[in-house]
Amino acid sequence: MNNILRHGQRLGCWLPAVQHHIHTTAVHRTFWEREKKSGYKTKLPEPSKKQLILDGFKELKEEIKLWRREVKEQLESDPILVFRPGETDVVFDFKAPDVLDKWTVTTDADHGEGKSTATLELSAAGAGLFHGEVNSDHTKDGIIKRTGYANIRTKRVRKSFKRETTYDWTQYNMLIMKVRGDGRSYLINLHTEGYFDLMWNDIYHYVLYTRGGPHWQIAKIPFSKFFLSSKGRVQDRQGPIALNKVTHFGFSVAAKKGMDGPFGLEIEYVGLQYDPSHREEFAYEMYQTPKYIVAT
Amino acid sequence: MLRRVQCLIRLHSNGRQALQFRSYAKDGANSKQNPNPNPRAQKQGSKNLPAVRNPFATAQDRTKDSYLTMVEIFNERDVHRRNHVEFIYAALKNMADFGVERDLEVYKALINVMPKGKFIPTNLFQAEFMHYPKQQQCIIDLLEQMEDLGVMPDYEMEAMLLNVFGRQGHPLRKYWRMMYWMPKFKNLSPWPLPDPVPDDTLEIARLAVERMCTVDLRSKVTVFESKDLKDAIDDTWIVSGMSPEQEKLLREHSRQKALYIEGPFHIWLRNRRINYFTLRADPDTEFLAQLDERQLDEDDVSNIEVPFFGRAPPRRHNQLGKLRSVHQQDDGTILAICATGTSTKDSLLSWIRLLEANGNPSIGEVPVLFRFTSTVPAKAKEIEGSAGVPAKSESRCSENGQTRSE
Repeated sequence: MNNILRHGQRLGCWLPAVQHHIHTTAVHRTFWEREKKSGYKTKLPEPSKKQLILDGFKELKEEIKLWRREVKEQLESDPILVFRPGETDVVFDFKAPDVLDKWTVTTDADHGEGKSTATLELSAAGAGLFHGEVNSDHTKDGIIKRTGYANIRTKRVRKSFKRETTYDWTQYNMLIMKVRGDGRSYLINLHTEGYFDLMWNDIYHYVLYTRGGPHWQIAKIPFSKFFLSSKGRVQDRQGPIALNKVTHFGFSVAAKKGMDGPFGLEIEYVGLQYDPSHREEFAYEMYQTPKYIVAT
Repeated sequence: MLRRVQCLIRLHSNGRQALQFRSYAKDGANSKQNPNPNPRAQKQGSKNLPAVRNPFATAQDRTKDSYLTMVEIFNERDVHRRNHVEFIYAALKNMADFGVERDLEVYKALINVMPKGKFIPTNLFQAEFMHYPKQQQCIIDLLEQMEDLGVMPDYEMEAMLLNVFGRQGHPLRKYWRMMYWMPKFKNLSPWPLPDPVPDDTLEIARLAVERMCTVDLRSKVTVFESKDLKDAIDDTWIVSGMSPEQEKLLREHSRQKALYIEGPFHIWLRNRRINYFTLRADPDTEFLAQLDERQLDEDDVSNIEVPFFGRAPPRRHNQLGKLRSVHQQDDGTILAICATGTSTKDSLLSWIRLLEANGNPSIGEVPVLFRFTSTVPAKAKEIEGSAGVPAKSESRCSENGQTRSE
């Protein structure tokens, strides 16, 4: 709704002369979205052209290095093809150097829609600590109904020369995490951003229940439990996650049901595993449904 | 012109409403004395806004009974039930004040306000273009509020919605989605909690410590009373969790190395937050390193030692060593967890002394240091503080050979 209003306002600013002939109220764009942020894209000031060229050259060195590695890998052609039951492959390791650069922290305060704060930093134990305070208070402007969230997400996985790619996790069927939480439940988000605008907001979710307390906890969650949602709405047409199309990974926490206040989730690593005893493909039964009711 | 007529009608109906609600609500004239007056009701003189009177905001007696009576009065006011959408929205908004926001019966009463049979589409076009959109959206919002608060609908509600909107209604679709997903998520948590979570702090603290102790199944949670000790200042409870394994680790802990009481950390039980403290020792690095050494990778063929030329054959050493306990973490050994009623230094001191008295005599011989992440008061706040009290606690500290640091 907010998005639509913003569009309306923007139209009004651009074309003051023809304002009367164009709707400035809700225009329901169901099928087409202008950009991936759905109206939440903040325009950041671009550096000067000269600076861009200089930065480009600086990046070029790294990109060529990356490209060389890719070519070498391609020539060696030695991918892991064997399922190794019980072995954990770490994907996001918080003990690795410069790990914090790979993550983006967002809260509802980013767009002036809430008052939550969050940071991701290294804890005393050397793990990543996602902490802050979620707050469901917001300005009652009549558009925003509910607020209070904090979120971390990895940056889009890419190949050399800034080409976007996806993770390929098809060999695994379990997500393994070593975490230490505070008793809250967190949302695990696996983004499978597609090519078309309809698929830009596809996220597979599952809950990470944390025990709380001083002990570390190893959460083992099968990928079959993840369910599809888009823009926060669980979808009617479900299906198992396509593990070769994962683009981002993240955690969310919300101030729902009066859970306003501080939170803290310490993550040591996020890994993948193949468990041969887990045969389930999708945890949710798929009923045959009447026509024109589902997904409408 | 039309708008003005509508305004007049609404004003008129409001006047009648006020008469009807007299027994449950205060009059507009008395609204100044009301602790929670409706600001819109005071703007009756303004030209632009129609005067809308919200009976829920002005109700005196805020109980479930009075809430249901108001809904009933609205139902019986006239056949047309004008403004029922506005009424339902107002009723939804004020649910929390009446303490009925988690009550399925109340939601059903609100759905019952809708007329039966009138909104059922009779042809394909009506069904496809959301027949009576305001009414449908209103009930969708109601269902969404239920979903947000975790109130699960039942089959009677399905029958009611079918009577109002028919099989093609959007509220029905929302209802079916809820009935598909909500039971799946309801009991998903591996640490189930009573619903609602009890209000008693001691009860919550006990639940919290029990939850943290699920890491070791042999853990025992005890509730101590600090008044059992001779000279404790705070009279409070202490919920302590410790397992036989932790007791063993504490027994084997070197007398020269300090123990730390750390905190306050917090743990959430649904929407309740409890502060807890831990008794922790520094990690036994020697033991942990030895464990790493023992984990030889037998598949690694990159570095094979050749047992020739007088060198001793490789020995399978430490195959029968000590196992690592779950409490021996990389960043420290956790020896006990507690939550106290006052979360003060004095109550924590009482905790240590109670642990000493209850089967852990070795703790008296080890220096125990406080290490707090935020300010922790020395003792519970009293209205009449006596001057001698802090000195007393200091002296007891030195008696036990315990030192303090912050």
